[in-house]
Amino acid sequence: MGKPPAPELLPGTLDLLILRTLIAGPMHGYGIAQRLRQVSEDVLQVGESSLYPALQRLLLNAWVKAAWGASENNRRARYYTLTAAGRKQLASEREEFARLVGAIEKVLNMA
Amino acid sequence: MIPQVHMSLLRALLRGRRRLVFRWRRTELDHELAEELEFHHALKQQAVGELSHIQMGNMTIAAEECRDMWSFLRLERLLQDIRYAARMFRRTPGFTAIAVLSLAVGIGGNAAMFTLVNTLLVRPLPYRQPDRLVRITGIFPRAAVPFLQQQTRTMDVAAVSPGSEYNLTGQGEAIRIVGSATSANAFSVLGASPARGRTFEAGEDSPGRDSLVILGNSLWRTKFGGDPSVIGRVIALNGVDRQIVGIMPPAFSYPSAQVQAWVPLRLDASNFLEYWAGGFVPLVSRLRAGAAAAEAQREIRPLIDEFRKTFPYPMARDWNRDSTAIPLQRDLTGDIRGKLIILLASVSLVLLIACANVASLLLSRATTRRKEIALRVALGAMRLRIVRQLLTESVLLSLVGGGLGILLGMGALSIFKSLLPSSTPGLAQASIDSSVAAAVAGLALLTGLAFGIAPALSASQIDLAQSIRTGSQRSTAAFWTRLRGGLIGAEVALTVVLVVSAGLLIKSLYTLAEVRPGFQPQQVLTVHISPNSSFCTERPACIALYDRLLEGARGVSGVAEAAIANTIPLDAEQPDLAVDVEGHPKSVDHPAPMFWSGAVSARYIRMLRIPLLAGRDLTDADGAKSAAVLLISASTARHFWAGENPIGRHIKATGERQWRTVVGVVGDVRQYSLSKAMPDWIPGAIYMPYAQAVREDGQIPAAMTLLVKTRANTDGAAREIRTLAQDQDPNVPIGQVQPLEEVVAGSIANFRATIRVFISFAAAAILLAAIGIYGLVSYWVMQRTYEIGLRVAIGATRSRIVSMILAQGLRVALYGIAAGVIAALAATRFLASLLYGVGATDPSTFAAVTVLVLGVAITATAVPAWRASRIDPIKLLRLD
Repeated sequence: MGKPPAPELLPGTLDLLILRTLIAGPMHGYGIAQRLRQVSEDVLQVGESSLYPALQRLLLNAWVKAAWGASENNRRARYYTLTAAGRKQLASEREEFARLVGAIEKVLNMA
Repeated sequence: MIPQVHMSLLRALLRGRRRLVFRWRRTELDHELAEELEFHHALKQQAVGELSHIQMGNMTIAAEECRDMWSFLRLERLLQDIRYAARMFRRTPGFTAIAVLSLAVGIGGNAAMFTLVNTLLVRPLPYRQPDRLVRITGIFPRAAVPFLQQQTRTMDVAAVSPGSEYNLTGQGEAIRIVGSATSANAFSVLGASPARGRTFEAGEDSPGRDSLVILGNSLWRTKFGGDPSVIGRVIALNGVDRQIVGIMPPAFSYPSAQVQAWVPLRLDASNFLEYWAGGFVPLVSRLRAGAAAAEAQREIRPLIDEFRKTFPYPMARDWNRDSTAIPLQRDLTGDIRGKLIILLASVSLVLLIACANVASLLLSRATTRRKEIALRVALGAMRLRIVRQLLTESVLLSLVGGGLGILLGMGALSIFKSLLPSSTPGLAQASIDSSVAAAVAGLALLTGLAFGIAPALSASQIDLAQSIRTGSQRSTAAFWTRLRGGLIGAEVALTVVLVVSAGLLIKSLYTLAEVRPGFQPQQVLTVHISPNSSFCTERPACIALYDRLLEGARGVSGVAEAAIANTIPLDAEQPDLAVDVEGHPKSVDHPAPMFWSGAVSARYIRMLRIPLLAGRDLTDADGAKSAAVLLISASTARHFWAGENPIGRHIKATGERQWRTVVGVVGDVRQYSLSKAMPDWIPGAIYMPYAQAVREDGQIPAAMTLLVKTRANTDGAAREIRTLAQDQDPNVPIGQVQPLEEVVAGSIANFRATIRVFISFAAAAILLAAIGIYGLVSYWVMQRTYEIGLRVAIGATRSRIVSMILAQGLRVALYGIAAGVIAALAATRFLASLLYGVGATDPSTFAAVTVLVLGVAITATAVPAWRASRIDPIKLLRLD
């Protein structure tokens, strides 16, 4: 069993990315994965084995909620929606991430 | 900071609840997830065409990880471990029973002892701010109470008498109760409130206002049916009418649990004898706000010195010179503290032995389970998981042991309670409560981890290939084997300490039973008769009562002889009397000596077979009107008239005008206890004829014991005697008829019970040690089966094999015994206060114990050694 082909994400980053993606509105799992791929220009290819556990984790923390609805092709699909708590979490995690990236850049750019 | 903690806690709780919901809807979620993943699949297939195996695999992993997310993974694994452990235990019931039982004994004993120590030594007294309460050591005349109350700047001083017997009449059948006289402020000083009514108010200890009584809860329930309307009612105590003003709650048991009523301690300066000389009382005080205990201690001695000078008669210069203030709790538990600590230490030893044993058993079990464990490792179980499984087993074992231990502890507690004086305040309230249960659970958990960690680690270090192939390990893990040897050796050592202690106590008991008490208690019945003192204000009335009684008793069929005495030997009464001895003038440095003073009828001495050594016995002719005479004990004669003839010398009670003539010398009698004839401060003993007798207050003793010597048929005689006594006066309480032999045995009942407990500790220890040694040697034999088979094959004889195994087992036992003897030499001196007639390092006891433990060790080694000698090399070699 090999690893998914996508580059390794920093731990916890996937949750952040999913939350950010859901700002645009309710989306199903496949949609989220596609969206991440498009926006990142094929750099971030999230496999199901990371995506669905991550979604369960977010559900467990009540940062997203899920509801069944009809998809574009008229099949039953599960749509995830950002909750108020999720929005708050996104804001704080984003700040945290920015700080982290800034710190890494500082180290990399040191004279 | 705090809100943050709250938030995260709240979030964790919510997450837990959601997880529970998820767990609940597991099948539904499973379906939903499957559908979702299928949907994902379909779209993906549309996009990229055929899916690779890897991508299919991803789906499975995704589903599995999601499922994990919904469940309490850790909890479920734990449950799985527990189920597995339970299955293992069911498969080896013998091992499980031994392990659980030894732990239950250890933990149960500890739970009970811990409860006692916690209740009596640790838990604060049930009074307001108990740490501010102190006892002023020594006892003081009533005059000291107002003196100290006025002079001290650091304390509020109260007096509480230790309790004496009172006749309670005017409320059904007359009974005898124990009451305590207290200064009016005693209850407020102690900070104890009544359950009903009130306590004494200021000034109610002054004459004329003191006809009051406060009832103890048990007396109120038993004698007054728990009727709340008794407050205000009048009852008679020792013939004095007193109004009930209050009822104390059940938990109040000061100064001792036997006290059932409290009356004001009358402070009457005009009553010279009572105020300055009669009945000295202990003082209890509360430190005033801002005063430190040290300040109070500094203040006491000068105050007492000052008070001593106010005595209207000369008082010894060193009177109460050592007085100081000690915490009240220490005062209350003073006598039993040492005993409790010894018992706690012994019971902890038993637990240690049990732990060592279970650890050793688990170690050997881990060895027999090598194959199974190796298989699990081969199938991919991680080392951590194996260790966790084994630790789960040992913790489960100890928790079951702990649960059983609490049940055992409840039984043990009632036994331990019987070892302590029943008057100990708070003793009756001691019970295994939630805090002790929690402590026991913690203890069980800790012991489980402690004795489980070594076997678990040893089992997890397994050479896979070796173990699977043979199921055993021929290359022994030397370290673990040595550890086991060490455990068993330590166990033997602890056992030796316990058995030596038990041995010394048994020897003390034997010596005590052999003590000649100086009288013959056989076939003598006793019954206590206690008229009010007021009844005896007129001496002739009292003398006539007892003459009638004696005459009646002699008429009862089966009675050979009858006599009366103010106390009987070994019944815990102390009739002390300050006396002047002819030729021994008292001075400030040598105050009047205190004598044990008997008041007996003629024929008492002869009836108890107390030897008459010189002079004559008392006779009926020594009446109220004839010349005052008395008998003295042999040691009194030696002490005061060594080398002289004491007959014809004189003794009198201090304050008396007339001397009493010594007419005879009788043998010494163990009046106070079998181990000690008299306390150190009692240099002499006298016997006065009843008709001439005086107490310290100048009255004739009212409460007496009737003794009858029976020929046969004790039961019938006992009944008749009691009826006879009751017929004399319905207002006189009559005690139960008790054989004098029972009184003698009763005086050491407490000691016997202590010894029984020690014997059971020692027996448990020996049994556990035997099991431990047996297990260890069996394990050796099993491990070395192959080697032994080889030895037999190349010609070793059976006896050689047996002696080889025996030698190995005995080496451990001998190391253990040697260590144990050294430890016992150091430890038994703490027992010294319990021993009688035997040294703490008594060589014969040590030798006997060594032989005993060695014998047990040999027996425990012999069985596996014999089994080793039966190993058949042919079968063995074929097997491999």
